[in-house]
Amino acid sequence: MSVISIAAPRRAAALGLALGVLPVTDTLADPLIAVVSQQAAAVTLIDAGAAAKVAEIAVPGVPAGLAVTPDGRRLYITHPDLGLVSRLDVASREVEARFHVGQEPFGIAVIEDGRSLLVSDWSDDALIRVDARHGHETGRVAVGRSPAGLVVDMVAGYAYVADRESHQVSAVDLARMTRKAAIPTGKAPFALALSPAGDRLYVANVQSGDLSVIDTGPLKEIDRFKVGLMPYGVATTSDGSRILVTNQQSGTLAIVDAATHAILGRPKLGSYLEGVVAFGPGRAAAVAWAEDSVLIIDVGKDRVTARIPVGAGPRSLAVMPRRWEPGVRGDMLNP
Amino acid sequence: MLRRMMLAVALVLAGLAPLAAHGPTPQRAEERVTIAASPDKVWALLASFGAIGDWHPLVKKVSATGGNAAGAERVLTLEKGEITEGLDEIDPAERRLSYRLGKENAEAFPVSFYTAAIEVKPSGGGSEVVWDARFYRADTTNEPPEGRDDAAAIAAMTDFIKQGLEGLRSKAGGQ
Repeated sequence: MSVISIAAPRRAAALGLALGVLPVTDTLADPLIAVVSQQAAAVTLIDAGAAAKVAEIAVPGVPAGLAVTPDGRRLYITHPDLGLVSRLDVASREVEARFHVGQEPFGIAVIEDGRSLLVSDWSDDALIRVDARHGHETGRVAVGRSPAGLVVDMVAGYAYVADRESHQVSAVDLARMTRKAAIPTGKAPFALALSPAGDRLYVANVQSGDLSVIDTGPLKEIDRFKVGLMPYGVATTSDGSRILVTNQQSGTLAIVDAATHAILGRPKLGSYLEGVVAFGPGRAAAVAWAEDSVLIIDVGKDRVTARIPVGAGPRSLAVMPRRWEPGVRGDMLNP
Repeated sequence: MLRRMMLAVALVLAGLAPLAAHGPTPQRAEERVTIAASPDKVWALLASFGAIGDWHPLVKKVSATGGNAAGAERVLTLEKGEITEGLDEIDPAERRLSYRLGKENAEAFPVSFYTAAIEVKPSGGGSEVVWDARFYRADTTNEPPEGRDDAAAIAAMTDFIKQGLEGLRSKAGGQ
């Protein structure tokens, strides 16, 4: 999706297979989705199955990126204009901490089972690691200009950052906090998504209107193709078969075959689509920025099944792990 | 020598401009107007991308290239300077077009980047025109001075759209 991400897809898939106990009913399979609204300074929690708003929580001003802990108990939110990261306790629905990180913290990811955070600093051109409890900086690596979207592969130990004004993706070795590669992409890369297997990184290039596909083995771009005008969000379905790209200027969702890179459909779904996430079998949620709504999408049918009003100026969203699912109940990261 | 130094400074500034061009907090303006004229008549005015000067009161002069197809460009002369816009989409069936700021000029228009769309819909016996824009303030750092902040950007964009819609209504006829 756009400015956030966690390593969940790969890990979650592995867990489900290992335990063989994926929830079966629709109600159980549908996650909560968290959405940040910039103008409203709020985070909205949505029950994707019921297509209903669960809570709207006030946060500090102009929130942009968000990331959720693996247990789903906490959300971390960036506030670039304030130089802040805030921590929201999901159960109490309250902001329980806020700390200064860098100059303009933008993209954010939770790592090390929730003990640390990675933050891209839009104006200081760095990827910063902080401890999640107090926000103290514990590492920093220089990346390209205006780093935006951030995605982490915890299995491989890599973070990928979209260096928007350098037209490249930086690959950062998390153990050493060093940059292993700067991979050229299309113009103005912003949002990133990793395939469930971790072997492909998809990069939405806003200005050139195309999608870069990076092979994470050799860290090389292996394909780049047009998807639409101003692609601002990207996600992969949980089975990895489809890549979803929101084209902001056209309000369309490009549905791409991950194997052939053919565009299977490009329905117009809303006005100024931005962040997108996939969940469950064949479904997705996307932000319609100008409509102040989140769209729940049936990917196979190319259509919107529900529109949920949220606070003004929604940007990015995150799928929240459910505490009550087998295997993710542990309280290992309560800061 | 002095001239050479000034040129060097100008180049450095030009090199920095793209860095600040896209801050993280977009703003929005949306206005709509009903017009007695038919949707086809209103659309004909809008679809002539280089002819915005015929109906927009804030546009003093236009020079355009590329006709009315995606990829066309127009340079608008406003009261305080020029800005360049590019046509990205034009859909006669939906009567919708979208365009983008190509070359900013914060002196002329205090916005660093925008995309905008105009759509004409049938309404009663006439038309409804919806014009919206998504844009960033002129100074995208964390402490923009007055006149280059969000408020200035919103005011300028809203005024440009409102006056444009009024001009469009006058030109299309009907009130």
